[in-house]
This record gives sequence, structure tokens and C-alpha cells, in this order.
Amino acid sequence: MLKKLAYAVGALALLFGLWGVYIRLFEGEQSANYGSYIGWGLWVAMYLFLAGLAAGAYMLAAFDYLFNVPQFKGTGKTMLWAALVTLPAGLASIGMDLGHMERIWKVYLQPSFTSFLTLMVWGYTLFLILILVSLYFAFTAPDKKAMKVVMWIGFVTAILVAGGVGFLLGGNGARLYWHVGLLPAQFPVFAVASGAALMLLLVGWFMPGLEEKQRHDLLWLLAIISIATSVVKLYFLAADYTQSLYGGATDNLIAVNYVLSGPHAFMFWGVQIVLGLLIPVIVLAQPKLAKNGTIAGLMGVFLLIGYAAARILIVVPGQVAEMMPGQAAAFYGPKLTLDYTPSLMEWSVTSAVLGFALLGILIGMDYLLAYFSRLTARLTEVKK
Amino acid sequence: MTPKQKKLSRRDFLKLSALTAGTAGLLGSLPGVMRQVQRVIAANTNPSFEAQPENQLYTVCLQCNTGCGIKVKILDGIAAKIDGNPYSPWTLWPHPAYETPVKEMATVEGALCPKGQAGIQTAYDPYRIVSVLKRKPGTKRGEGQWVTIPFEQAIEEIVEGGDLFGEGHVDGLRAVRALTDPEVAAEMATKIKGIWDEKDADRKRALIEAFKSEFRPYLDALIDPEHPDLGPKNNQFMFVWGRMKGGREDVVHRFVQEAYGSINMNGHTTICQGSLYFTGKQMSSKWNAAKGSFDSGDKFYWQADTGNSEFVIYAGTNLFDSNYGPPQRVPKATDAIVNGRKFAVVDPRLSKLAARAWKWVPIKPGTDAALALGMIRWMLENERYNKAYLSIANVAAQVAAGEPNYTNATWLVKISNGVPGKHLRASELGLISKQTVQRDNEAVEVYLGQDGTEYPGDTPVALVDGVPTPINVLNADAAPVVGDLLFSGRVGDFEVKTGLQILLESAQEHTLAEWAEIAGVSENDIIVLANEFTSHGRKAAVDIHRGSSQHTNGFYNNNAWYMVNLLIGNFDYKGGTIKASTYNRKGEKPGQPFPVMTMFGEHHFTAFGIDMLRTKTTYEKSTLFDGTYPTRRPWFPIATDIYQEDIPSIGDAYPYPIKILMTYMSSLPYSVPGGQKIIEILADTHKIPLFIASDIMISETSMYADYIFPDLTYLERWEFHGSHPSVPWKVENVRQPAISIPGWPTTEVWGEEIPLSFEAVLLAVAEKLELPGFGPDGFGEGTPYIRPEDFYLKQVADIAFGEKEDGSDSVPEADEEEVRIFLAARRHLPKSVFDPDKWKAAVGNDESLWRKVIFVLNRGGRYEAFEKGYKGAKVAHPYGRLINLYQEKTATTINTMTGSPFTGYTKYIPAGLSATGEPIPHPGYDLRLITYKTMTMAKARGISNYWTLAIVPEGYLLINSQDAARLGIQDGDTVRISSASNPDGAYDLQNGKKHPIEGKAKVSEAIRPGVVAFPLGFGHWASGSTDVEIDGRVVPGDPRRAVPLMANGAMQLDPVLGNTGLSDLAGGSAVFYDSMVKVEKV
Amino acid sequence: MSNEAKLLQKYASEVFAGLVAPLEGMEISAAPAEDPLAAEDVLVRMHRELARALEKSPSERRWVMVIDLRRCIGCHACTVACVAENKLPPGVVYRPVMTEEIGTYPNVTMKFLPRPCMQCEHSPCTEVCPVNATYHNEEEIVVVDYEQCIGCRACMAACPYGARTFDFGYHYAEQLPMFDGAIVGGQTAAGYEHISQEYGQEWERKGRHESPVGNVRKCHFCLHRIKDGILPACTTTCIGRATYFGDANDPDSLVTELINKPNVIRLKEELGTEPRVYYIV
Ligand SMILES: Nc1nc2c(c(=O)[nH]1)N[C@H]1C(S)=C(S)[C@@H](COP(=O)(O)OP(=O)(O)OC[C@H]3O[C@@H](n4cnc5c(=O)[nH]c(N)nc54)[C@H](O)[C@@H]3O)O[C@H]1N2
Ligand SMILES: Nc1nc2c(c(=O)[nH]1)N[C@H]1C(S)=C(S)[C@@H](COP(=O)(O)OP(=O)(O)OC[C@H]3O[C@@H](n4cnc5c(=O)[nH]c(N)nc54)[C@H](O)[C@@H]3O)O[C@H]1N2
Ligand code: SF4
Ligand code: SF4
Ligand code: SF4
Ligand code: SF4
Ligand code: SF4
Ligand SMILES: [Mo]
Repeated sequence: MLKKLAYAVGALALLFGLWGVYIRLFEGEQSANYGSYIGWGLWVAMYLFLAGLAAGAYMLAAFDYLFNVPQFKGTGKTMLWAALVTLPAGLASIGMDLGHMERIWKVYLQPSFTSFLTLMVWGYTLFLILILVSLYFAFTAPDKKAMKVVMWIGFVTAILVAGGVGFLLGGNGARLYWHVGLLPAQFPVFAVASGAALMLLLVGWFMPGLEEKQRHDLLWLLAIISIATSVVKLYFLAADYTQSLYGGATDNLIAVNYVLSGPHAFMFWGVQIVLGLLIPVIVLAQPKLAKNGTIAGLMGVFLLIGYAAARILIVVPGQVAEMMPGQAAAFYGPKLTLDYTPSLMEWSVTSAVLGFALLGILIGMDYLLAYFSRLTARLTEVKK
Repeated sequence: MTPKQKKLSRRDFLKLSALTAGTAGLLGSLPGVMRQVQRVIAANTNPSFEAQPENQLYTVCLQCNTGCGIKVKILDGIAAKIDGNPYSPWTLWPHPAYETPVKEMATVEGALCPKGQAGIQTAYDPYRIVSVLKRKPGTKRGEGQWVTIPFEQAIEEIVEGGDLFGEGHVDGLRAVRALTDPEVAAEMATKIKGIWDEKDADRKRALIEAFKSEFRPYLDALIDPEHPDLGPKNNQFMFVWGRMKGGREDVVHRFVQEAYGSINMNGHTTICQGSLYFTGKQMSSKWNAAKGSFDSGDKFYWQADTGNSEFVIYAGTNLFDSNYGPPQRVPKATDAIVNGRKFAVVDPRLSKLAARAWKWVPIKPGTDAALALGMIRWMLENERYNKAYLSIANVAAQVAAGEPNYTNATWLVKISNGVPGKHLRASELGLISKQTVQRDNEAVEVYLGQDGTEYPGDTPVALVDGVPTPINVLNADAAPVVGDLLFSGRVGDFEVKTGLQILLESAQEHTLAEWAEIAGVSENDIIVLANEFTSHGRKAAVDIHRGSSQHTNGFYNNNAWYMVNLLIGNFDYKGGTIKASTYNRKGEKPGQPFPVMTMFGEHHFTAFGIDMLRTKTTYEKSTLFDGTYPTRRPWFPIATDIYQEDIPSIGDAYPYPIKILMTYMSSLPYSVPGGQKIIEILADTHKIPLFIASDIMISETSMYADYIFPDLTYLERWEFHGSHPSVPWKVENVRQPAISIPGWPTTEVWGEEIPLSFEAVLLAVAEKLELPGFGPDGFGEGTPYIRPEDFYLKQVADIAFGEKEDGSDSVPEADEEEVRIFLAARRHLPKSVFDPDKWKAAVGNDESLWRKVIFVLNRGGRYEAFEKGYKGAKVAHPYGRLINLYQEKTATTINTMTGSPFTGYTKYIPAGLSATGEPIPHPGYDLRLITYKTMTMAKARGISNYWTLAIVPEGYLLINSQDAARLGIQDGDTVRISSASNPDGAYDLQNGKKHPIEGKAKVSEAIRPGVVAFPLGFGHWASGSTDVEIDGRVVPGDPRRAVPLMANGAMQLDPVLGNTGLSDLAGGSAVFYDSMVKVEKV
Repeated sequence: MSNEAKLLQKYASEVFAGLVAPLEGMEISAAPAEDPLAAEDVLVRMHRELARALEKSPSERRWVMVIDLRRCIGCHACTVACVAENKLPPGVVYRPVMTEEIGTYPNVTMKFLPRPCMQCEHSPCTEVCPVNATYHNEEEIVVVDYEQCIGCRACMAACPYGARTFDFGYHYAEQLPMFDGAIVGGQTAAGYEHISQEYGQEWERKGRHESPVGNVRKCHFCLHRIKDGILPACTTTCIGRATYFGDANDPDSLVTELINKPNVIRLKEELGTEPRVYYIV
């Protein structure tokens, strides 16, 4: 039932998303609401979110393949697959954000390595390859050692790319809200957290192959991971914000106030904190509830929404403070505003991306992974 | 008093460089520095179009009325960029040598304000109309429904009239031009003058009867034979213009008065800074020695010599946002900031200028005269004024003292019942007497003094060391008279005072503390200003403009400030108070090739009669005079061009009804206080049976017209922009076609193809009506006036020739290279605009003159050399004659609303009074509304400039935080502005449409509490801001042009007249700063 | 003796020098008095100095801009001139002027701050560009290669001065109605919007995707004008004569003179960006 619902949601999302993609590709970016002061909006946030998710999923796959945590046994492939789907989804999101996406090849052929963006694109490309190789080994498992090596490389890469994304923002010396030393450190934690949340969802709702006991144990473990990372996250957040408010640097104050009491404060208090953190933490802290697949899955969804919101609340507020005070009143024009609410077109594109990711994961779990197993099994047989 | 220069001062340096430049000029090469630049550019293999003289055309900006020289850079026929014309003193300071070859100027450019930069968007405005629009028959004026009709049909309809709109017959231009015989008109005019000059009522009656019998066959052609001085029916065609400059103005004069024969052509002076002009006129009224009385003065005004004053008080002058104008005056003022010269700003609002000033005095609006009189009192009582200068009573003494001008400060004025009236005449004391003497065997009447000295006429008297002395005013060889400055007492049978004494007593009407209280400033402010002002010799000046002028007491505010100047004698001095100078464009100087104003052939028509605005004769002289006051509407014996009176007078049909109204470049309902009343009349087909407009779009005015004729913008047409008083050099700015809009329609008139334009309308009407002064013999036998440039190029030729009879003042001839560039730079212009053969023919095919014309056109005007602006400590082109400290002419002019004469001296009169001089109650309306201009907006016409709208996208109401707090208004709140005369706070646009007087509040510290202010230029309800229908198709308006706020409609209406705002009856100004309003959050 | 004659006597040597100086490259009163406006308009002086600088090789000159905040009147002529020169579309601005009201009535004033690109020596914007689309050209001006830029806006986020804006493909007049025979109409009127000579190249900028649409744009010190010996548009149009431009490697240039005074600051020095735009306060 849940699965049908998920398929339906995914399909509808994709369908609604196609409209936005069409507008974006053929009419350009005028109907987006990001602009010249807040230049990075929903799509960049979703990129951070999905790329982080991919890294997180990979790390959780490592719990199976690398650390051999018993509860995770057998989940590795699914998580690798999830990584394989969410990463391109994230890249699609950032791709749509480019003024000239047709020139993306330049990043490969004419790159500048002083740019963290270049490093990220290259890093994620490498990471994508690693996911593929990992997945290949996971199926073929020619030799456990090679798999381990690949997974190690992948694991470290996942941490680095996740952290790198943090640097992409944090490296901007002029953006005080982003320019927090710990930002690159926070991102891998976020990645693990979001990976765990995704897994809660997948294990809770869909993973049919697991036996009850392992499923309960795994959910409980994931619940603990989620609670732990949530607490860490909350701590980071509290540290950041109190430090900003105390420090009183104007730009920081503007940003933090925008988050806490700005026009989109609900996004923070309602979505990120209550829905995305408090409710899941409280619910998941009860072993009975946490072990209930339906509920755990739902909490996974809540957590994911919370993490997505958190990305937006990192990306956007970092840009609300004018780089030159008075700038917004010095020249008027479209896209020269200091507030940002994603437009319908932006939501639509994001919907396409998420719909793609959701359907991709589902289809993979339901058909492809099984198909690949059969395929590789047959192949190994033939070899033999 | 003369400051000694020890170091190589800035001033010396200017002279030095001028000398050097002059020498270089003699040797044939001008700024040699340009040469270096040329080398570099030559080395540049691929210079962009911008850098090439062949793609540059010099003309004159008209985004605002400053008229800065511009360089239009053209690519593929499109104006791609506008920059400052480097020859123009408006854009570079000092300006380079005029003779510099254009080629060398290709990469030099001067400064322009943002509006000047955005001018491209005025020309290329999508909402510009390209066809004649006719009000759709069956729809009402202002309903916004139009049909396009061919130009020829439109001309046919306005000339022949008929049932044009299905509303019954309408007289056309032919029918209204009832009197067509120029000779009869001339005779009538003479007779009418006789009637006017007759003071005796009975004899006047008799003259009228005689007139009626003499012109019996023509009485039908008069508006009212019982009042023949209303003139011919021709006068029922009225031409009203907003912004119009030389050239077009001269053509309009020819068309309306001398060809069509209507007396009614009026400009917009009084909503601009009218009273300033007419204060100037009264202060400059000329002593006529033979008549022993004053003739009219000149309509002009003075400004401060910004670049050389050590201290300027800018009172109601908005130098850093508007005025005449930013590129020209700002660099001189910012130079003052960094180089230790100072300025103070008197303004209720912290203008940008005030923000940079040494001192800001946030005066209570309307009280400038109080502040000035406080200063005058201090200056006089502390002997901080230029006694030596003011004592000079005549030209002889002026010459002896080496002064550039003199005043009547010492002339005795007769006082009756405490009121100063006329100057005492020498004959009244028996000092001189009229005698008949034989001269060359002829008897002539002269005045002889007791010692036998001859005087050309009766003369004024001064006390010289207490002895009454006749003043031979104008004769430089007569006895110099240096009079006593202060005297009050009896001389002979007369109670008299000197002019200065009268001023002193007026200043002593209040103590400094009281003056300060009235002006809402501190006593210390007055003293500090006066002290500083009198600490710089003659290098200090008060500079005034609209802020002091546009009040009911504007004339006296202006006069008061000018008195402050006069007390230090700074007129005509470098760093003092100076006037404008232009090359004669009318060919009035001997030797000039084309006396265009009089080149008319034989049939020149004499327009005559009382004009609609009652300015050309006095009520008392007219046959309308019945001994009663007030008159139905005021007469304006001092001022002219009373814009705010045009339409309301038509509304009241006073003094007579109008049949055809034509407007040109005017935004009456928008720019005039109380414009909603103007709309009411414009929309009324009974009051104005035919309404024709020349416009570039469907604007606030032309939306009510029956026909709109498209015009060329300033980038496509001819005009002579003249100069401004703060410019010392002799100049003339020549506006010429720089571009042509792709596909711009043309028409055929007199067999010539010319672009659809204002000129096309006049020429076509003239052709149809066979008006004199136009056509193949328009300039006299064999000299045609069939193309626009036939007129204008002759004027350019006059300017090129200069003002010396022998031609020694003429510009050089363009050499081959300059001719080549001239032609190349115009290669994109269609033949209908630029045909070199036709252009050359317009200047009589005189090769030498033609080349001089090219020389001028290549530079966008004529500009005197920088070093020629001054002679020593004085300006080179001084005003140079009597300045009336006391105004006899004003004191003997009757205010027809009170029946008493105007006051002839500086006096504080409270602002905001009605036409009859009564205070106007305004219960519940507790904020004073004022207005100002913002740098990025020019008038009604700035709204099409999207580039500048990006800087200031809408007009807000500036309100002090104290008032805002009291009214619970926060920054950004939308507020409505209403007043006792517009309690709804809305314009009634007729046809059931309203336009709210609402906008956003800007809560600020930069304005005096109790005063609110809004900028001009926003709050449109036409001009592309709203939908209109043309040929049944909707042309949607642009919301960017529909932004708030325009609050002229909330300004106080005159309670006596009802249908117009307040006016300064002496100076003529429409009043913009004396209304009380309520501001409410909506 | 007339004033002029006295003056002549006083400075005879200078004048004489003026007379005998060869006409080629002659300079009228080369030595400015304490006030740069004394002898000629600063615009003319800077124009002359620009020509001098252009005779050097690009790497030998060091373009700087100096803005005298005492003389800036917040007129925005520079902003609009820049828009007009570069045909900047709606939403794109290279040189805004910030206005600030300070104080309480009646002790109140206004401050104006024009902000072109600082042409930072250590420019955060160029470092973050993934494809080297924005870089220091041979004259050390920070340029954007529109054909190279992928429109990622990383440079926009990185610039501490907000000096970069994104071209979303708007036009000022083009979208407005067309109605042949009645009004000029949007497309006809908007011809000028397609004339841009930035970087010495023609940018028609038609359509929704054609560069510079989809690119980040910024002030480039008008290098397309400089190369032809014309000063930047914001400089020539500065009615306050508050903006100066020139070669700081030329010891005699106006800008060199100005930036070697103590009352000169640069914005956000603490970030170590080393701007080439100086402010006189
Ligand atoms: N940007 C721009 N410039 C323009 C024009 C334009 O439309 N836009 N138009 C041009 C034209 S036609 C003209 S006539 C000139 C006008 O030039 P100005 O007269 O210099 O300009 P305004 O902006 O009308 O300024 C009037 C000033 O008077 C102040 N004021 C109001 N009431 C009083 C008062 O009682 N006393 C004193 N002392 N000050 C007072 C206002 O606050 C305002 O600052 O500008 C020209 N220049
Ligand atoms: N609130 C407020 N009101 C003011 C002022 C103020 O400071 N504040 N200032 C006043 C001053 S100083 C003045 S001078 C007046 C000006 O007021 P007006 O003299 O009435 O003129 P404009 O506002 O310039 O309007 C001219 C109109 O002519 C049309 N037009 C534009 N260009 C052309 C052209 O090339 N040819 C033709 N035929 N028509 C054209 C346009 O429709 C435009 O609306 O406004 C006054 N009104
Ligand atoms: S001041 Fe007026 S005339 Fe001069 S450039 Fe600006 S708008 Fe044009
Ligand atoms: S101001 Fe900004 S855009 Fe300009 S060079 Fe510096 S960092 Fe780059
Ligand atoms: S927007 Fe263009 S110039 Fe800026 S960083 Fe991205 S690719 Fe480079
Ligand atoms: S230098 Fe050129 S591009 Fe830069 S702000 Fe000035 S005008 Fe604009
Ligand atoms: S043009 Fe000059 S005076 Fe005007 S705002 Fe720009 S820098 Fe300031
Ligand atoms: Mo005006």
C-alpha cells in the first residue's frame, strides 16, 4: 500500500516537474525567484541535500560492506543504489541552476582547480564512478579485498565531498553566516544523518528481504544514529546561532534573524526544528515506535524534510545580508531583492528531481537490483 | 576689500592657462594634448564606433531645461550612447578651445546627469505616437479611444472644421481667422492703442464709436465690437506651450501672431520660476531719460557665479538635483567643498546640496523674505554693506568709480500716507524746468537746471550731502551724482525717503528675533549667515530659484534675496551675481545675414487686443474697466505667460471665450497645482470646441485633445537652447536632428517631403490657409520657407556670423576634413531630414557662410572662449545698467483684485493668501505640502526613461519622523494626501475615472517637521501608464509608468477664483509650496 | 597695468615656456595647482594621461579608480552612464551608488557611496570560478568571458562587494506592445538595447539563452573604451568630478597624486582583497 502510494507520489512529482523543466529549458530563468543578491536558492539547496544524501547512503553502505555491522547485513546494495540515484538527482538540480548548462563540459575540459566548484564536480564525478564500481563489486564480489579497498576509497571520498560542499559555502570569506570554520566538518555529519534517515524510510517501508528481527534491530540502530546526529546537529546549530548573536557582526545578525524571525521563520521552527527534529527524536527514542516500520519510515520522511529545510536555511540566509549596505535601495530591478521564496517553476523542477530520485530508488529496489543479482549470478555461473 | 593673492591661486592659474591656450590658438593648433591622443588612436587598429567622429553628432539635451551640450554616438543609425559635448561649458570646466578640430574631440567627452544619459529612452519610447490620432467620434474627451487618420485629413479637418465628432459643427482654423487683411489689422491695432491710451472715459467712448464706424465692414471679425480691444476673432485661437525653446518659439511667434493673427500665445514661465523672471523684470525696468519715467525691464533673472563665489547662499535652489543645472553647476560647487569655498542652503528640506553644505537652514516655507530682511537689517545696522557702490546714482558716477552698474538706492521716493510711491522729480522741486530752446533752427523742449545744465527730460533727485540734486541718469558725460544713502524727511513740499531708507525701515519692521521666529530659524542663523556673507567682498552671492519664488509672496521673497546681493554690490562681479549672454539668433545685430524675425515679405499681420491672460495691457486702460475691483479674474500687469491661468480663463471665458486651443509640449493637468480643475475644462467641448495637441505620446494633456499630432523629440529636431544666468560666457546651444526613428512617417507640404512634426503642422496649416510668412516667398520675394530648416539654418548662420557688423566675430569656416565629417556623421539621416543641398540653399547657397554653419553644427553650438568670460574682477558680459533697489514701476501698478498698487520695495508679506489677499482657512489640514525635483526625473516627461526609473522607481512622500510618529505612519506605508480644496485626495479624470493622490511615505529626518514633500515626475495617469484604445485595439499601459505619486492636485485652490491654484499676482508664479494638507494612512 | 599684464609679468617664465614648447604633445600648464581643476577640467587631464598610459605595454600600467566621497553628490549619473554604455538590462548593475541618511533632524546629513567593481588584486571572485571564465586580463582588470561562463554564480556569492549581478535576459522596452502605424512599439524602440560593445565585441543579446544572458556580469573599467583612449563612462559623466581614473604606475598621473595622500581608504581592507578602487574621505 505504502509502496503504491510512493510510486504514485513519485510519478506525480515527476509529471508536475516536467512543466518546470520545460519552462526552465526553453524560457530561461526569469521565472525563477533566485536573483542577483540571493543567487543560490532551492536548487542549490537541493543539490547540497541530495549530494549529501548520496554521500550518506554510501557511508551507510559501508556499515555493511566495510564495518560488517551485522544489523546492516544485506542492505549495502540498496544503499549503494540509493547513492547512485540521489547523486545524479543532485547534479541535475545544480545543472538546472546553471545559466549555461550546455557548457558544463567546460568544467571537465577547461577546469580551474583553484575553484572549489571544480573540485566538487570532479570529486562527485569520481564519487559517482566509485559508487558504480562499488555496486559492480557488490554484485560480482570477485574478491572481498578489492571490494574493501574500493569501499574505503569511496568512504573517504564521501566524507571529503560531503565536507567539500560545506567548504563551497564556508570558503566565502565575505559571507559571515557561511564562513564558519566548522561548516565543512558539519556537512559529513549531515550526510550520515540524512543517509540514516533515508534508510529509516527504506527499511521501514519498503525493504522486503529483511527478516523481522534484523529489521527491528536495524531500525533501532538507525533510530539511535538519527537521534545522535540530531543532537549533534542541534548542538552545531545552537553554537552557530548563539555565537553569531553574541558576536553581533551585522551580516551574521541579519542572517540569523532572518532564520529565526524572518519572513520564513516557520521554515526553521516548524519544519526544521519541530517536524524535522523534535518529533522524530521523541518518537524514535521510544524503542517500540522506532521498531514499527511504518512509524520509523514516517520519521525518516520527517527527518529528510528537516534536512532539506536545513540546507535551504543554510544556503539562503547566507545571502540576505547586503554585501554593501544600502545596495538594494540603490538600484531597482527584477531579481534585485533581499528576500527569497522559491517560485512555482523552481518547486516544479525540484519536484521533478525528487520524483526522479524516489522512482529511481523504488524501481531499483523492486526490479533492477533483483535483475542485476540474477544477471551477475548468471554471469558468474557462465564464467564458472 | 580686494583679497591679495600671494600664491599662484586657482584663479591666476585659469588666466594663465587661458593665455597660453589663446597663444596656442593663434599658432593654429589647439590643445596639443589632443594630438597625443590621436596618435594612440591611430595606432589602435580597430577603434570601436564610439571613438570615431564620423559616428558622432553634437546637439543639445532637453531632458530637463538645462540644455547641456551632448554628443550622440550613432551606430547603424541608432543613437547608441549619449555623452557630454566637450566644447560645451555645460559639461567641462574649463571648456576647451572652440576651434579644436572635431576629430581631436572624438574621444573627449564631458559630464552629463543621469537624465541626459537616459535620453535615448525618450526618443525610443515604445509609446511614442507615429500617426495623427483623432478622438474616436462618439466618445468623450479623455475616454481614451482613438482612431488614426492620415496627416492630410487631420489638417483638412482642423482647418475647415465641420461636424467632426458627430457632436455638431465645430469651427476650424479658417473660420476662426475672421480677420485676414493685414492692413486693416495694422490700422485697427493703432486705433486700439489710441483707445487704451485715452484716460478720459467719455473720450474713450467716443474713440470706440469712431472705431466702430471706421471699421464697420470688419466688425463681424471682432470678438465684441462694443469692446473692440478684445481684438479680432483670430484671438479665439489660443496657443499654449509648456517647454519651448528658441527657434521653435520664433516660428510660433511668426505663425500665431504674424501669420494667423492671434495675440494668444503663452508659455509656461509662471509654473517654472515665473516670479523670479518678473522680479528681474521690475528690478531692471529702464529709466527713459527723455520721458522722465521708467520703461519696461527685461524678463530675466540673475544667478550666482557658482565657480568663483567664495560663499553662496542657495535659497530654494536645488543645485544637486535640478536647477540649471547639474552638469554645469555641480562641479563648481563640489570644487567649493574641497577647496575651502563655502555654501549654505536655505531649504525646508535637506536636499543633497544641503547635505553637502557648510550650513543648512531649514526655513519655514514661504518666509524667505523674513530671513532675508533679518539679514538686511543686520547688514545695514552693522554697516556691513557696500556704501560706496550704493551711493552711485547715475552712469557718470558709475563710470568714474569703475563700477559695472549702479542702483537707485539714493533716489528720493515720495511718501504719501506712509506709502512709498513715485520717485521725486527734479522739476517738482523746481530744480529743473522745461524750456524751449532753439537748436539748429528748430525749437526743442529740454529741461534746464538752475545753472543752465541741460537734462534730456525730467529727472529723479538725490540728496548730495543733504542738498537736493537732479540726477542726469544715463549720460556718462553728465555730472556724477553720489548721493546720500539714508534719509527720511521733508524736501520742499514733499515727504521723501531714499530707496535704501525704505528698505531699512522695512527691515526694521521686526527685530532679528522676530524675523527668526517668523522664518522658523534661530537668530543666530541670521547673524551667522549675514556675517559670513559680508566677509568675502563681492565674491559672495545669494542664489535663488523656485523655492523662494513659487509662493503667493514669491516676488517679494526674490526681491528680498536680491537686495541682500545688492547690499554688497556683487552684480556683474566674478563670484557674484551674474546674468546669461547669448549670441543673437534672430539676426537683430547689424551685419547678421538673416534678420529672420523681420524677413517676412509684405503681408505681416499685426496681432492685437487684450490677451486671454490680461498681461499685455492694463485693466485700467482697457474698455473693460468700469472702475470696480476686484476683476472677475486677476490681471497681470507685470508678469506674462501665466500658465496656471490659461485653461481656467478659458473656463470662465474671461475676458472672452476661446474656440480653438492648441497645446505644445505641455502637461497642464499634471504640472500645474490644482490640475484637476484644468481637466474639467479641457474635457468640456462647450468651453473648448476644438482642442489640438502636439505631443510625442498620449499624455495627461493630449489625452483630452481632439487631435494629437506626433512630434519629433529633442534628438530629432531643431531648437536653440540659449543659456542660463550662471553661465558667464556668451553662447548659443544648437539643437539639431541627430537621429531619425526607423520608419518615421513623413508628409508632403509645399511639395517638400518633411517628417511628421510640429513644424509639419504649422507649415501645412499655413499652406492651406495661405498664411503670409510661409511658402515659396515666406521670407520675402524668392526666399522660401517651405522646410523646417529654412528657418533654423538661417538662425545658425546668424549665430555663426556673430555680432560684429564687419564679420570679425564670425567663426572659422569648416575645412575639408570638417565638411567630410559633417556629411559622414549625417549619413544615417533620411533625405527628408538631411539633404545637404537643401540645407545649403537655406543659407542662400553662400559657400563661406555654409562652411561657418557647418563649423557651428559640428560643435553643437557656439561657445565663447573660456578666458573671455571675465574681465578682471568682473564678468565680460555685464548686465551693466541701473538696478532698481526701489521699484517705481511696481509701486504704480494696480493689483486688480484689491484695487491698490503693488508694493514697490522689499517687504515681508505672509505666504498662502488668496487672490484678494486674505488668509485661507484650513481646519484639520496641518501639514505644509512642498515639492521638489529629484535628479533622475525630468518633469512629466521622465517617466519613459526606464534606466532612471531603476534608480528611483516611484515618488514617495517625505515626512519627518516626528510627524510620522504622531500620525502613526511608518516608512513604506501608503498614505493619502488631501486638502481643504481636495478633501477626497483624488484627481477627477472625468468620465467616472479617479486618480488617487496616494503614495508611500518615506519617514525621514531630512525634512523640517510640519512639512511634507514629494518629488516631481511620478504619479501618471496617462503617458503610457494606462490602457488606451487605438483603432479598436487596446494598447496596454506599462505598470512601471503607473507608479505613485503626484500631489499637485492636493494643492490649495484659490477660494476667490475657485478653478485655479494660488498665484503670486505680482510675479505671476503659480504657488507650489503654500498648501496645507492632511496625510492619512490608507 | 591691467591684471592680466601683472599676471603675465609674475609668471613670465611659465608663459614663455608655453610659447616655445613644441606643439607636438604640448601640454597646457602641466603642473596642476593644489586643486586639480585649476588649469583644465580633470576630465581633460585624465584623458591626456590615458593616452600617455596607452603608449606603454599593457602589463606596465596599473589602472586604478579613485572616488572622492566629499565630492560625490549621489546623482547616479555614473550608474546610469554605465547602464547606457554597456546596455545593461533590467536587474544588472555595475556601479550602484548607495545613499545613507545619517543623524536626527536638524543635525542630519547624507552619505553617498558609489561602488564599481574593486578590480581586486586578490579577487575572491576569480578564484571560485570553475572554468576560468573570470580572470585578470593582461592589464589586471577582472573580466568575464561571456562565452566561457557557465552561469554558476559562484563568483557572485564570493564577491565581498556585491559587484556582480546575473543577466536573466530581461529588456527594458522590448516586451512593450507593438502596434505599427500607431505607436513606435516595443521591438522597434528597443533597437538600442542590442548595441553593446563590452570587451570590444558586439553583443546583440537577443533570445533567452544568448550570452551574456545567463552570465554573471560586472564592471570591467570600460576597457573597450580605454583601448580607444576614452575614459570609463562613469568617470567622464561624473558631474561631481568625484571619480578619477588612470594609471597608478605613472608617477605624474592624477590618480597617483591622489592615492598617495593620507585621506585615502579602500573598502573592506580586512578581507585582503587589495582593491584597485580608492576612496578619498
Ligand atoms: N532633475 C531635474 N532637474 C531639473 C528639472 C527637472 O524636471 N528635473 N527641471 C528644470 C527646471 S524647468 C527648473 S525650473 C529647475 C528648477 O530648479 P530649482 O528651483 O532649483 O529646483 P526645485 O527642485 O524645483 O527646487 C525647489 C527647492 O525649493 C525648496 N523649497 C520649497 N519651499 C521653499 C521655501 O519656502 N523656501 C526655500 N528657501 N526653499 C523652499 C524645495 O525643497 C526644493 O529643494 O530645475 C531644472 N532642472
Ligand atoms: N509638483 C511639482 N510640479 C511641478 C514642478 C515641481 O517641481 N513639482 N515643477 C514645475 C516646473 S519648474 C515646470 S518647468 C513645469 C513643466 O511643466 P510643463 O511645461 O507642463 O511640461 P512638462 O512637464 O515638461 O510636459 C511636457 C509634455 O509634453 C510632451 N512632450 C515631451 N516631449 C515632447 C516633444 O518633444 N514635443 C512635443 N510636442 N511634446 C513633448 C509630453 O507629453 C510631456 O508630458 O512643471 C512644474 N510642475
Ligand atoms: S541637466 Fe538636464 S539638460 Fe543637462 S544632461 Fe541633465 S537632463 Fe540633460
Ligand atoms: S570587487 Fe568583487 S567582482 Fe570585483 S574583483 Fe573584487 S571580488 Fe571580484
Ligand atoms: S558564473 Fe561564470 S564567471 Fe562566475 S564563477 Fe560561474 S562560470 Fe565563473
Ligand atoms: S568603469 Fe565602466 S563598467 Fe565600470 S562602473 Fe564605470 S562605466 Fe561601468
Ligand atoms: S556621477 Fe559622480 S557625483 Fe554622481 S553619484 Fe556618481 S560618483 Fe557621485
Ligand atoms: Mo521649470
